[in-house]
Amino acid sequence: MTRYGRQIEIGPTDNTSNERTPRNRLHIIPEEARASFAPYAPYNYGINPGEADMTRLAPGRPRAEGDPIKVIGKITDEFGRPIKNSLIEIWNANKYGRYTHIEDHSGLALDPNFLGIGRTLTDQNGHYEFWTIRPGAYLARPDINRWRPKHIHMSIRGGSSRLITQMYFKGDPHNDSDPMRILMGDNFDKNIGIEFETPDEDFNCGYKFDIVIGGRNPTFFEDI
Amino acid sequence: MTHSNAKINRLTPTNEDTLGPYYPISLCDNDSMDMTEIRRGIILEPRGEKIVIEGCIKDINGNLANGCLLEFWQANADGVYRTPLTETHPKLDPWFNGYARHRTKDGNFSLKTIRPGVNTDLDHPRAPNITLTIFSDGIMRVVTQLFFDGDPANENDPLLLSIDKNLRERLLMKPAGETDNGLKIYKIDIIMAGDNETPFFDDLLS
Ligand SMILES: [Fe+3]
Repeated sequence: MTRYGRQIEIGPTDNTSNERTPRNRLHIIPEEARASFAPYAPYNYGINPGEADMTRLAPGRPRAEGDPIKVIGKITDEFGRPIKNSLIEIWNANKYGRYTHIEDHSGLALDPNFLGIGRTLTDQNGHYEFWTIRPGAYLARPDINRWRPKHIHMSIRGGSSRLITQMYFKGDPHNDSDPMRILMGDNFDKNIGIEFETPDEDFNCGYKFDIVIGGRNPTFFEDI
Repeated sequence: MTHSNAKINRLTPTNEDTLGPYYPISLCDNDSMDMTEIRRGIILEPRGEKIVIEGCIKDINGNLANGCLLEFWQANADGVYRTPLTETHPKLDPWFNGYARHRTKDGNFSLKTIRPGVNTDLDHPRAPNITLTIFSDGIMRVVTQLFFDGDPANENDPLLLSIDKNLRERLLMKPAGETDNGLKIYKIDIIMAGDNETPFFDDLLS
């Protein structure tokens, strides 16, 4: 009777993963129940001007420390159809690897001009753009000397499309030992931003990070 | 609305990743754990019986799972979900979205909502239930559905019937008294891993 889906793997050297990963295989959702598993988030986000520019606290304020970077990309479903008007929430550490989050007790340096939290919407073609400071790597587990490589967290929510992911940086020395990278295997390349030059703009460089939402992150299409 | 029969030219999905421990708390400022109030300060309300769900998320050691991002999704008092496809449905409730989001600091949650109904127009009516998505540090999205203990529709629910009998029990919210103003309270513990682990569900596409 029961049909099973994936066995979720436990991230190596990750305490939380060990404590919170279901030990049983996931159960396959019967066809009759599938529609109800795709939450449709209403549009209640009031985004203020400047929220996509994380390099400053607000327009006209001084720039934060570190390398300003621009991140652009396109969000589509597995069939290449753009996910439009989708809310992207972004959070990343400052250049020293410190979050402004009240529960970050690392003691690393704070930058009074960097909040590290941003939001933006995709346009009609699924494109997005935000500006931030290239984050620093941080020592996530001092007890075993395990670092988290540089990364930018992104949550995508629009209609029923739902994905939480992270963009990584090519060549970071801590990439190979990262537990989530190890779980991703060769598919890790999908989560690396592709660097490009920004010659006439006030950035260190740009990164292109296209996102495909698929698998068990179902997407509602309003146009079908 | 599902695409399970289309198999051509699929793009490789971007990897999910964990929520991490530092999801910005302020991003939830506009979120509410009161589904009965679609906008603050108005007198119009959704149809149906107002109830309160109290629950918690526990890890393999029985400790509360702090810092999780929870998303709740449910049908209205007539069993109709609000989606782009149901905007003109005659049984849509204009005063009910059925969506709530919450970042739980300590692992507990409390949701005020209405008891969802059964959509008898469907070939396979679902028992009243609430979809719960959990994002957490250390793990990608997991999802399940919570049911009301003793509801007669549970006997025929396709999701409950698809799992072993002893597991169904773990998805049942139990009556637990009333609030000061007379709303029924239902309680449930979500066990992420280990003994009495909550059944979690997977999509056919993965
Ligand atoms: Fe992080």
